[in-house]
Amino acid sequence: MLSFYSLPLFFLSLAGLLHAKSSDGDSVLVLVENAHKKDFSLFFDDLKEQGYSLTFRAPKDEKPAVVEYDVPAFSHIIILASESKNFAKDITPQSLVEIVSGGTNLLIGLSPKQTPLSSLAAEFSLVLPPPGTPLISFFPERKDPVSVIPIDASLPSTILPAMSPVWFSGVPFAHGNNPRLVPILHAPAESFAADSQGGADVLVDATEKGGEGLWAGSQLSVASGFQAAGGARVTWLGGVDMLSDKFFKKQVSKAKSGNARFAREVSAWTFQESLVLRIDSTTHHLVNSTTPEEHYTTNDNIVFTAHISRFHPKTATWEPYSGIKDLQLEFTMLDPHIRTALPAVAGSPGTYSVTFRAPDRHGVFKFVVDYKRKGWTHLHSSTTVALVPPRHDGYPRFLSAAWPYYAGAISTSVAFFVFSAAWLAGESREGKKAKGGKAQ
Amino acid sequence: MPPKSAPAANAAPSSAVQTLWKAYNDSTSDRLKFIDAFLVFLMLSGIVQFAYCVLVTTFPYNAFLSGFGSTVGQFVLTASLRSQVNPENKNEFKDVSPERAFADFALGSIVLHFFVFNFLG
Repeated sequence: MLSFYSLPLFFLSLAGLLHAKSSDGDSVLVLVENAHKKDFSLFFDDLKEQGYSLTFRAPKDEKPAVVEYDVPAFSHIIILASESKNFAKDITPQSLVEIVSGGTNLLIGLSPKQTPLSSLAAEFSLVLPPPGTPLISFFPERKDPVSVIPIDASLPSTILPAMSPVWFSGVPFAHGNNPRLVPILHAPAESFAADSQGGADVLVDATEKGGEGLWAGSQLSVASGFQAAGGARVTWLGGVDMLSDKFFKKQVSKAKSGNARFAREVSAWTFQESLVLRIDSTTHHLVNSTTPEEHYTTNDNIVFTAHISRFHPKTATWEPYSGIKDLQLEFTMLDPHIRTALPAVAGSPGTYSVTFRAPDRHGVFKFVVDYKRKGWTHLHSSTTVALVPPRHDGYPRFLSAAWPYYAGAISTSVAFFVFSAAWLAGESREGKKAKGGKAQ
Repeated sequence: MPPKSAPAANAAPSSAVQTLWKAYNDSTSDRLKFIDAFLVFLMLSGIVQFAYCVLVTTFPYNAFLSGFGSTVGQFVLTASLRSQVNPENKNEFKDVSPERAFADFALGSIVLHFFVFNFLG
């Protein structure tokens, strides 16, 4: 009996080990033209191998719906239909922004054509070149068309490790000044956006205008990430060909291209497998105590502790993470009255702790941990606590500096009693004298 | 008379103070002199505390307020007692006997000291 039940369980756990899981869910909707579906078979196979369940849908199909009963039906959406001018009713720039606010991750491919997705890109502070001008480069010398470019990816970034050059074909984009944008892959320095027929003429024209209107250089991106306030991630690719079988297999200087690796890493980041953190709990208490107080007194010594975990896609578990070096704690009442480093505690993984003296200022304060780094999940935690002045008997007493005042008050009282006693004594004597006088 | 006394005062100011002191000694009863001595003590105590506050520290400000306030309050109460028991003011305070005046003074002082020691902290 035991083996009868345990065998399926064993296989289930084995399956769990084999398949990496996203921290956000496994359901993926892929919007792709039926005709182009087989162009991306290697990419889709890889995702299935990672444990994702893919649902395909042509851009104009109504079913399956993206949002059902106001609840997002999928954890992730891949839009590879980059050239479609018409989408179904539920795929509009507005609805996609709403979906991202609801926590759904997007992987979007653009094309040189003007589509609804181009106007959506503007919502994410991406500035696209004019329609019909893909990225072209005449370097390095090669047999391919000028719009098919190998991009060097040998320098590791936060999201991408060092890898072989990646084939690219599509539009570049400039970054607006939105702090939530994360560049993933930059365009080569010698590339520029132009009509591939016109060639280098656009450079000559732009030179005459002092470089105005020219989209060129390594400040442009061909792949960019965006982290929404709700934690959802959106990745923009300049062209869907980066994920195609053709570019996966295409050789670059007689070696395998980095496209397969690029697709894996970018989808891992977009689907919240990598660089995912969370704050498990935060506590605060007085030094020499363990229980949190409802309110603290000014100038108390307070210990604040945060526990942070990182998601491990291999095991699909959250593990304590002590690798953050620049975490800060703020103790704020409107402004931070105290901003201090929140270092990891050696010996207890995932624990960050700091002891600080509360300011000499009473009011309603907050412990704020606000960690926003490009590529990493944004961490935010806020705990409200009251800071009160000392109780009436909490102040120091009998201060040496105040002894003249104490002496003054005491001497006045003593002198009053002496004066009263002498006055009464004198009165009785006078009274006797007066009586004696009368008697005489 | 005024033309005569004015040059005298200019010529010898110290003799005017001496005259004043002599007149005070001669014409003031012992009881009033005793009250005056108490008043002088309170005044000196208040001056010392105020000087300490200005020159050294006001830090326990409540202690300064109560220490200084006790001398000022006691001074006011004692001065009232003095004017009420002065035989020369008999016509002003027909209803107030010296015993009644002292009882008022004692009650007021006890209340004052009660507040002072509460606030001294």
